[in-house]
Amino acid sequence: MIFATPLGLLALLAIPGIVAIHLFRRRFPVRPVAGLFLWNILRKSPEGGGKITRLPITTSLLLECLAALALALILAGARISPAGISQHLVVLLDDSASMAASNANGESTRDRAVRRVLTEIERLPSGARVTLIQSGERPSILAGPAALALEARTALAAWRPEAQHHSMALGIRLARELAGQTGKVMVVSDSASAARGESQFENGLWVSVGQAVANVGITAAQRTAAIDDTRGAVSLTVSSNSTERARRRLTISAGEKEVLARDLDVPPGTSSLTVPLPTGLQSVRVGLATDALQRDDAVMLAEPHPQMVAVENHLPDGRGRTALIKALSVLSGVRAAESGHLAFIDAAELDRPHPTDVWRAGFGRPPAAWVAPGDPKDLIGPFVLEKRHPLLLGMTLDGVVWSGAVPLVADAVRPVVSSGDQMLIGLPAGPTRTGTAMLFNLDLARTNLIRSPDWPILISNLVEMRRQSLPGPERWNYRSGEWVRVRLDRDPKGKLHYRCGAVERALPSGRQLEFIAPSPGGLLQILEDDQVLFEIGVNFLDEIETDLANQSMADAGALADVSGMRAENGASSDPLFWVLLAVGGLAMMLNWCLFTTGRNVRLFRRPSWS
Amino acid sequence: MAASSIDWAAVRAAASVRLAMPRTPLRGRAGERLGSGTGASLEFEDYRPYTPGDDLRHVDWAAYARSEMLSVRLYREEVAPRLDLVIDLSRSMAVTDEKLRAHGELSGLLACACTSTVADTRVITTSAAQPHPLQIPEDIERVFTCDAKLSGLEEGHLPFRRRSVRIVVSDFLFPHDADALISRLARESAWLAIIQLTLAEEAEPSPEGGRRLVDVEGHGELDVVIDDALIRDYRERFSRLRLGLSRAARRVGAPFAYVTAGTPVRDVARALAAAGVVEAA
Repeated sequence: MIFATPLGLLALLAIPGIVAIHLFRRRFPVRPVAGLFLWNILRKSPEGGGKITRLPITTSLLLECLAALALALILAGARISPAGISQHLVVLLDDSASMAASNANGESTRDRAVRRVLTEIERLPSGARVTLIQSGERPSILAGPAALALEARTALAAWRPEAQHHSMALGIRLARELAGQTGKVMVVSDSASAARGESQFENGLWVSVGQAVANVGITAAQRTAAIDDTRGAVSLTVSSNSTERARRRLTISAGEKEVLARDLDVPPGTSSLTVPLPTGLQSVRVGLATDALQRDDAVMLAEPHPQMVAVENHLPDGRGRTALIKALSVLSGVRAAESGHLAFIDAAELDRPHPTDVWRAGFGRPPAAWVAPGDPKDLIGPFVLEKRHPLLLGMTLDGVVWSGAVPLVADAVRPVVSSGDQMLIGLPAGPTRTGTAMLFNLDLARTNLIRSPDWPILISNLVEMRRQSLPGPERWNYRSGEWVRVRLDRDPKGKLHYRCGAVERALPSGRQLEFIAPSPGGLLQILEDDQVLFEIGVNFLDEIETDLANQSMADAGALADVSGMRAENGASSDPLFWVLLAVGGLAMMLNWCLFTTGRNVRLFRRPSWS
Repeated sequence: MAASSIDWAAVRAAASVRLAMPRTPLRGRAGERLGSGTGASLEFEDYRPYTPGDDLRHVDWAAYARSEMLSVRLYREEVAPRLDLVIDLSRSMAVTDEKLRAHGELSGLLACACTSTVADTRVITTSAAQPHPLQIPEDIERVFTCDAKLSGLEEGHLPFRRRSVRIVVSDFLFPHDADALISRLARESAWLAIIQLTLAEEAEPSPEGGRRLVDVEGHGELDVVIDDALIRDYRERFSRLRLGLSRAARRVGAPFAYVTAGTPVRDVARALAAAGVVEAA
């Protein structure tokens, strides 16, 4: 005997309960009488409780125990026959947005995919099981595992592909795990396995149901707003996989108001355009006329609010100070201030107290406590750069003569740029340091760094690093799937969450917020309770999915010939279930009849003269 | 019940009685009791004119000599009365050995009384079974098995004969309407006698505490505490039952005797005689 849910055997505890009830129930000494009806005047019960006597093996006890046993076995899923063998089809559905592309007849790739899967399901024998997997960066199960065909049909009807371009590898791995040795794997996509990067796919059926159609879509979009200017702009990158020029109408609207409408003559391939936009528009929708794939025809762009970085220049007069002023003057979003976000100071002041919200860049001889014995050196390289540090992005230090590098004590500074054992640029370390500081172990009066191309890059990187650390979103418009990073200027007091269309998620409470831009995108609001803190744009912007030229329609491989899986088809499929049900029901009915028969005799056989 | 459980020696010792027959004429086969019609007894009844075919031995020749008219002497008929002895063989009559023994002795006593009378006697136990003829008192043992779940008296129609003498023995401990029951038993009878037999504790129970009362005829069971209050109620109902039977019997002119199990047979015979059921032989 097999038990599908062995925990149901706990119901057998009812049998000792029944026995206990029969054992402890009140029983008087039996006295046979000739005319019971003469006694049936008053019912009296003794005040004392029951007492333990020998268990009477009565019909009622046996019937009750039998009923309890039968019901316990039913609950435990007892069955005498092993689970049936069912065919198991595991279908991996390509959930990329290109599956939603429609042809000239209005038929979408998704419709063909659903039709094909339904055909395969109908070919399966009765009782077959189906598992539907939706591909993606994190594949998910739409139906199953090993669901009935009816459930699979329901899940297919609700399936709407809209994901960014992604690898099918994870989905295939999940499908193979679920199929095991007894299931068949089928992948349904809009292009061949090789085109989807799975040229090694085997032991399964790869069904391509795509159709190459012309499509024009927005593959990149950026909205800029000049800090010192009153005008902004929208920059678009438009891709067309058509071989001919395509004419599309571009519209930009803010809310219900159409701001701009223009006909575009889109050439084959990728093209860019920039459209000036007046400032003061919170968020705008940029759309192209609808074509094969609607997902890439519109973007929602939030208004950017670039951060202004206030810079204090406390360098001593000389060529170094002059070079810094010149480098800052070409950067946007920077202003001079007495109390700013970023201070350029003499390196000797780096160990003095200072406000923690001011970043300090110290140039020159370090504080005495950091200096090791030895004379300053002039170095021409080679320089070792920590390439991944944002301060050094784009820098090479080629041809630079690094002058006045003072020897430093060990562990005083964590190096970012060094030459040999000499630290040149570093971050002061140690428990006494507060705030962010950078040491440039350099004599600006003698080095040629300030005349090299690396100088403005270095200053720009430093300013942008500080800008990134200011409160607000790192950027104002994102692709779906990108990490969104937002810094708050205070600890949140309410519940943080974001809302993007129908998607609403809670955010962990903290100054630094990080989350993945949700799909399908749109205008995303970051809220503290009901107060909107920031609005950012999240858009599809997927160049690969926009390109519908490589879609194809073909089958590759075949469904594996496997033995099928053992599947439970419900307790009612086993004859033992019905036997137990009949036995339990009959026992209860008989017990009830016995009980009521005895009661009726006492109730209705009353003397007429009483 | 085993036949040997009837103490025939004691029964016969006390059985110097016969049924107290009614004074009214009876019906039956030719016998020693005067019948209701004309017959061949020695008791003169009337004259009637002679008609051809009459027995010449009955012609009153003296009257012919006086009147020159042929007259025939008519004599009263002598019959053997029909006796229907109704015995309750339900389980309630054997609720204890004492009651069963008393039932056997009472039935044996009545069987002796019946057979000492020249009569056509049958024993009736139920409506379903054929009445059993009673030639000798021991014949009663053939039917004396108290295992019926229902008293024959509770059944609708017992196989009585018209104008029969009926003696009914039962404990009457079943739900009934005494008037209706006795009227039914007395219908078309020549004479009826009712004898109720119960245990002493059935008439006068004593406090026993908690008991599960189980009806021996399968009419259910009852958990009760037998205390003074319950006994008072019970006794009242039992008295009403016996009084009801007595009154109903009196209404139809039937003698009613109440016998307690455990009473010696000789005293039982006296009690029956006192009630007018039997008389000294």
